[in-house]
Amino acid sequence: MTFPTAPLAILALGLAALSATILVTFLALRPPLVRVTKIWLLLGFGVFPIAAAFAGNVQGFEATKERQFCGSCHVMSLHREDSDNAASNSLAARHARNPMFGSENCYVCHADYGMFGTVVTKAGGLRHVWLYLTEYRNVPVEAAKATIHLREPQKMNDNCMQCHSTKDSLWLAVPDHRAPLEAERAGRLSCASEGCHGFAHPFFRGPANEARAL
Amino acid sequence: MTRRRVLDAACVAALAALALMTWQLFDPRVWPVIIAMSVGQVLGTASLVAYCGVVIADYRART
Repeated sequence: MTFPTAPLAILALGLAALSATILVTFLALRPPLVRVTKIWLLLGFGVFPIAAAFAGNVQGFEATKERQFCGSCHVMSLHREDSDNAASNSLAARHARNPMFGSENCYVCHADYGMFGTVVTKAGGLRHVWLYLTEYRNVPVEAAKATIHLREPQKMNDNCMQCHSTKDSLWLAVPDHRAPLEAERAGRLSCASEGCHGFAHPFFRGPANEARAL
Repeated sequence: MTRRRVLDAACVAALAALALMTWQLFDPRVWPVIIAMSVGQVLGTASLVAYCGVVIADYRART
């Protein structure tokens, strides 16, 4: 637990503190319910908490992009440790060391792109919460390896191609890129498959997952 | 339940909501964030509704 330093978080804390001060003062002093009291209470119950909730929500949504957040479910602890490991050569760890991905590398690689990408991704995140509550809460990481898998693996190449467009001449000069080009662009051949750039999270591939690999 | 008691309960609910909503800022992991955005906001909204109810009831009693 650390003290937040983001401006929005500090704003949310300040607004919550103002609201709490008004409410505690009302409870302690018990003033008559006259117009002035009602106006103060409107600030304490409505204006400040709504503003604090808004700032807190925006800050909360930003926090959900962080690796710390993704790795806070125990079944994702190996993924988090690998990305944190400066010596790891996994695809995920190498991207985590890239400032464009950094501490948000889970989100950047797994988020849906497009106009409603953030909303779709967060809705999918709620599905993860449900699965965690109902299926994985008490499952050891080693056992979870057998069943955790990508829901739409064919879409993962789309995310790779946000940065690696597959149209650059240097990229196309690599024979292994050029030969299966259509299969790569269509997602039938995963960039992160064993014969290409390797699995993004090689330590997390149980036998069942191997069979699911593209 | 008197209006004063409703307001007292609303104050306690609002303080609890504020605590839940600020918890996520100190501990941005899955459960604090989810609880802040669900339980915290439901409690906060309920306290605001209770306050509005008291104000409307007070206004009606005076007119």
